[in-house]
Amino acid sequence: MSINHNRARPVFINLLQIKLPISAISSITHRLAGIYIFFVTLPLSLILLYFSTKSYNDFMFISALLKDSIFFSTFVAFSFLVFAYHILTGVRHLLQDMHIGESLEASRVSSYIVFFLWFVLVAAVIWRILL
Amino acid sequence: MIGSTLFYAQRLSAIFLLGYTVWLSSFFLFNQPLEFDAWSVFTDQILFLIITSLVSLIIVIHSFIGLWTIGTDYFTSRTLGFVSPAIGKYANIIRGAYSLLFVFWGCVVIFILLFTIWS
Repeated sequence: MSINHNRARPVFINLLQIKLPISAISSITHRLAGIYIFFVTLPLSLILLYFSTKSYNDFMFISALLKDSIFFSTFVAFSFLVFAYHILTGVRHLLQDMHIGESLEASRVSSYIVFFLWFVLVAAVIWRILL
Repeated sequence: MIGSTLFYAQRLSAIFLLGYTVWLSSFFLFNQPLEFDAWSVFTDQILFLIITSLVSLIIVIHSFIGLWTIGTDYFTSRTLGFVSPAIGKYANIIRGAYSLLFVFWGCVVIFILLFTIWS
C-alpha cells in the first residue's frame, strides 16, 4: 500500500458541487437555521422581551412599530419563521433518533412533509401581515 | 466528554426547548390580540422567571454543541479547501475565531437575558 493512497482515492463529497437529496437539504438548512437563530432571532427576541416588559409605553411603541413598519414586521416574521423551521426539522430529527421513520423512503417523505408544513406556516404569516 | 453524553445532552435540551416554545406559543395564541397587562402578568410570575433562567442555561448547552459540531464539520482544512485551498490552509485559525465568536456572543446574550427578566 503506497503512502499516498488517500490522494489517489476518488473522494468526491464537495458539498458545493454534488446534488444533495431532499433529506440532506433538510438537514443542512436545519443547521443554517440554527446559526441564524443564535445570531439573529435570539438577540431579536431579547430586544422584544426587554422593551415589551419595560413599560406600557415601550410595549405600545413596539406594537406600533410592528403594525406600521413593513420592514420591521417582515424582519421579525422572517426571524421567527426560521425558528419555526428549525423546530419542525428538529422534531423530524428527534423522531429519527428514536428510530421512527429512519428508512430512506420515510426520510424523504418526512422531509417533504416538513417543507409543506413550513410553507403553510409561511403562507399563514404572510396572510396575517398583509391583512 | 464522551460523544454519547453530547448526543443525549443535545437531544434532551432540544426537547426541553421545544416544550418551552410550545408553552410561550400557546400563551400568544390564547391571548390575541396581545395586551400589555396579560403579558406583564405572565412575564412577572415566578414560574416564568425560573423556567426562563433554566432555558438560558439549556440554550447555552444546545447551541454550544450545535455550533461546535458545525465548526468541526465544515471549518476544516478539507471542507474549506473545497471553497479555496488558500482558505483551507487557515482552517484552524478560522475555526478558532468562529468558536471564540459564538462563545463570546453566547455569554453576552445570556447575560442580557438574565438581566432583562430579573431586573
